[in-house]
Formats: sequence, C-alpha cells, structure tokens
Amino acid sequence: MNTDEINEELAVMQLSDSFFPTGLYATSNGLEFLFSNNEIKGLEDIKNMIKVNIEQQIGPSDCVALSNVFTNIERKDFKEIIQADEIAFIMKPIKEIRKASINSGIQLVKCVTEFVKDDSMLNEYHKAIKEKRVHGIFPVAFAICCNALNIREEKSLTMLLYGFTVSVIGAALRLGLIQHLEGQKIIHEIKPIIIQTLKENSNKSLFDMWQFAPQFDIFQMSHEKMDSKMFIT
Amino acid sequence: MTHIPRIGIGGPVGSGKSMLIERLVPMLAEIGYSISIISNDVISKEDADRIRNNLATKKGLLPENMVIGLATGGCPHTAVREDPSMNLAIIEEMEENHPELDLIIIESGGDNITTTFSPILADYFIYIIDVAGGDKYPRKGGLGITNCDLLIINKIDLAELVGANLEIMRTDAERIRKEKPFEFINCKTDQGVKKIAEHIIHDLLLDSQPKSDSLKKSVKIE
Repeated sequence: MNTDEINEELAVMQLSDSFFPTGLYATSNGLEFLFSNNEIKGLEDIKNMIKVNIEQQIGPSDCVALSNVFTNIERKDFKEIIQADEIAFIMKPIKEIRKASINSGIQLVKCVTEFVKDDSMLNEYHKAIKEKRVHGIFPVAFAICCNALNIREEKSLTMLLYGFTVSVIGAALRLGLIQHLEGQKIIHEIKPIIIQTLKENSNKSLFDMWQFAPQFDIFQMSHEKMDSKMFIT
Repeated sequence: MTHIPRIGIGGPVGSGKSMLIERLVPMLAEIGYSISIISNDVISKEDADRIRNNLATKKGLLPENMVIGLATGGCPHTAVREDPSMNLAIIEEMEENHPELDLIIIESGGDNITTTFSPILADYFIYIIDVAGGDKYPRKGGLGITNCDLLIINKIDLAELVGANLEIMRTDAERIRKEKPFEFINCKTDQGVKKIAEHIIHDLLLDSQPKSDSLKKSVKIE
C-alpha cells in the first residue's frame, strides 16, 4: 500500500470505530421495543431485523443519498447535495429515527471539522447546517465527511451499512438478547447482504430513492411511546 | 451562539442526584436564575418525569419543556464523557432557542466512582455520594471523587444508622481532595444545600446577576 492508501484505511478505521463520537451507541432502531414486547428472541430474529432494515430502509434510501452526494461533490454541485439532504430527511417518517439521524450527522460534521480544515465541501456543508439550509441528515453528512477524509464511495457505503449493523448488535448485547460471540456471528453472516445492497443501490438517481418496511416503521414509532427505555430509538 | 454555563451532576444510583436538583433549583430560581435540566437516565425517564412534575408542573419554577430526559443506550458514562454528542446536540438547541437561560444542569445516572464529565459538556462538575455506601467511599478515590469541582456527601442523617463515621469521611475527603471543596448535606431537610447553591453562584456563575431584567434580587442567598 502507498501512503494515500494507508491514510484512507486509517480514516476508515477512525470513522468506523465505535469510539468515534456520533452517539450511535444510544440507538437500537426499534429493537428495544421488540425486546420489551417479547417479539424478538435471539440470533435469527436479530439477523432478520438487520436484513430487513438494510434491504428495505437504509439500502434504497440512505445508500442512494450517500452515493449521490459523492457524485455531486465531484461535480461541485452543492444544490444537488442540498436536495439529497432534503430527500433523505423526508425518507425518515419516524420522528425519533429522523431526529437521531440529524443529531448524529451534525455532531459528525462538527467533529470532523475539528481536524479537517481545508475541505471546501465539508466547510460549505457545515456552514449550511449552521444557516439551517440543510438538515445535516446522517447519510449525507457521512458522505461529506468520508470524502473530506479521502475515503472512496464504495468504502463509505460499506462503512454506513457496517456501522448500522454494529449499532443494532451493540444494542442487542446490552439488552441481553444475544451473547458476544453470537454478535460476531451475525455480523459475519450479514456481510453478503451488505455486499448485495451496495451493488443494488449505488449509481441510482435521487428520484429512485425509496424505503418500505411498514412493520418496522410501526415498531420504531411504538418505541417513541415507551415509558421506560435505554435507547434513543 | 450564547454559551450557557453548564453543571454536570454525577454519582452512584440512589446517591441523591435528582433530589439535589429538586432542592437546588428552587433556591436558584428564587434569586431569578433561569434553568434547564437534562437528565441522562440509565433505563427510564423516571428521573426526568419526577423532576418535571415537581419543579415545573407543581411549582412552576421552569417551563415543562425545560426538563429533558435523554436515553443513553445503557451507557451513562459514555454519554457524558467519551461521546457526549447527544447531550451536546440538545444543549446546542437550547443555546440557540433559549439564550435567556442562566444555567443548564446535566444529570448523569452513573453507577460508579469513575464517572467524570467531558469539559466540553460541563463547565462545573459536582460528584455526589451518600453515607449509606460506607465511610470508605471518599478514600477509595476514583476519578469522580478526586476530579470533580465539588464533592458532596449526602444523607448525613443516616450516618449513625449505617455505621458511617463522618469524621473519617471528612479526613479522607480532605486528604484525597487536597485543596478542592467538599460539603456534607442532607437533601431531605435542605441541610447544607444553600452552600451548594453558593458554590454554583460563585464558582460557576461568577456571582453574575440573572439575565432576566424583571428580577432584580440580590445574588446573596438569605
């Protein structure tokens, strides 16, 4: 590997690390509601939940938004990035999920601007957040930050889906639904789904974005109403 | 954006963090300070609900939406130290939408003696323990006890009942804390709580008057 490639790998590790401060450790994406209502039991159920989320929600919406941001960074078209931010925002109908995505996105941008000072697109997006011209929704913020750290689109998409998977596994572990070895087994078994989702959702137009997982929407919505909860979502 | 002074209050479960807030806020509000409270709960929003009910709904000392409960994914320490991003997101909204606030109190439902607040999150850090944990607590040290700006030892009325020697706690606290302050209190009777309010006004708010122009009361607590 040359120096650029090593730098890219280091940036991938930095942003993918659960130590990176975006607050994702506090999200369960509806898993906590399923757990509280005894509607999820163990390894296979959790794997299925992650699969549905990736294939029906994050893949066709967040991944498409992320991919489009990369295209428009190259074209230096900030108007299209604003549009990606808006459409990705609209694609999250559940308030808790939408709010968590925005909070994480904004904090991610703030964190990266602490140590990357010379990326014009990152600076413009940060300025637009402050001026409330964009929401700061996570997949768009993530694409902007990955690009600023010279991480390529394919790797950024992989990191987005991997990060989601790990956050659900982390929540499942803390809820006591699975044990630590089972968590790693699920992550390993999800890899083909991540690969397939990447193939299906890169190079799509913003207007091809969709998400359809109504049962999970209801679970995530029901989490908002829970009196006692460990997780933000 | 206005920076609103922030206090972090941490300590073991049951040490009296929420009760301290319920006792402190009326004293500070009486002077005219405008306050918001963020409660980081381990598992529920019970603390936030109780504080909201007692301070906002019943006493009207602050608007109900100024008490916010935050779920921490079972990681209360992470939420105030390693990754305070969710707390910071709420505070940034507060600072933008409520510049009239004088103070933000951030409670962390921590459960051990290593809890500390990120200095990015809290300007002033109070760590509270209680005598029921035993008189060994101060000398055990731990980051919370040694590093906080103010150490509070609560429930001193129970000392005799649980066999805790307050003099041992005082001597150990002086040794461990060196020049840093500590106070004995009993939140149930307000014993010592005024001193805590004075520490906050002097050490954090630098004896500044409340922002509200309509309340021109003296900063001194009578």
